[in-house]
Amino acid sequence: MQDISLHLLDIIENSVRAKARNIKVRVINNAEKNRLRIIVEDDGVGMDTQTLERAQDPFYTSKAEREKKVGLGIPLFKQNAELANGSFKMASEPGFGTVLTVDFELSNIDRMPLGNLKDTLLGSIIGHPEVDFSIHLTCRERGHEQSFHFDTAAIKEELGDIPLTYPDVIEYIDQSLFEGIQNTNMEDV
Amino acid sequence: MKTLADLKKIREKAQEEMKFRGGNVRIKIVVGMGTSGIAMGAREVMKTFLEEISNRNLTDVLVTQTGEKGLSSMEPVVDVIEDGKAKITYGNMNPDKVKKVVVEHIVNGRTVSDYVVATGD
Repeated sequence: MQDISLHLLDIIENSVRAKARNIKVRVINNAEKNRLRIIVEDDGVGMDTQTLERAQDPFYTSKAEREKKVGLGIPLFKQNAELANGSFKMASEPGFGTVLTVDFELSNIDRMPLGNLKDTLLGSIIGHPEVDFSIHLTCRERGHEQSFHFDTAAIKEELGDIPLTYPDVIEYIDQSLFEGIQNTNMEDV
Repeated sequence: MKTLADLKKIREKAQEEMKFRGGNVRIKIVVGMGTSGIAMGAREVMKTFLEEISNRNLTDVLVTQTGEKGLSSMEPVVDVIEDGKAKITYGNMNPDKVKKVVVEHIVNGRTVSDYVVATGD
């Protein structure tokens, strides 16, 4: 994976596979603390302590249908965070869901760029109409805070039986995310 | 800034259209979004489908994402599912190939056999 937004997409897909109905994604760019933090919270099936530990092992996967039992998504994300003087934490409770908190040192030379957050979120939202997404972007810099919230449940309610892939809806979501990312200065992190 | 009022207008327009031609989904597209698919460019494939649907105003096409399907060496992988027809799986996809599949297969109903890696279930 070349950037954080691709890792984020991979993590969101994990949550979907864990049967999450609500996924909360938070991206916090805190220049004051020199931290970039990504939090993904889901209400999926969750993991017990053993599975949680094994999920961070590159030679394990929960994808039963797969012949080769390796899952690199989580271990690679963890490695990339740690390389940038960051941290990677996963907490989970069977039956309740999983929370993943990944920290990067913002100014670290080894930190991967945030990448195309918009395309990650747009694809996830439209590609999983059964899941309600709650997106929170926050940027803290020199005493100022800018934030952007985007909840797909309200949008779906407004749309009724019109699918998210309806052309004008794609444009609406794309444009909303674009504006939110611009307002929180996330396009070039 | 986009507001929920904009959505209301979209809904009214869409409902008007659906009254006219019925609300059926004609074609379903499923983009494989497992770890290896993502690493090989599946997000850009997904994005291109959404752009094409929006630009060509295709109102009877549904696009969704799914996990790994065991075709890692042919990622990004895309299924095209049409009622009453065998499922077509395209492999090694990229934005240019997506554009071709949209014109040939989705709009004109001709399978792009060069990109097909599997058919049926």
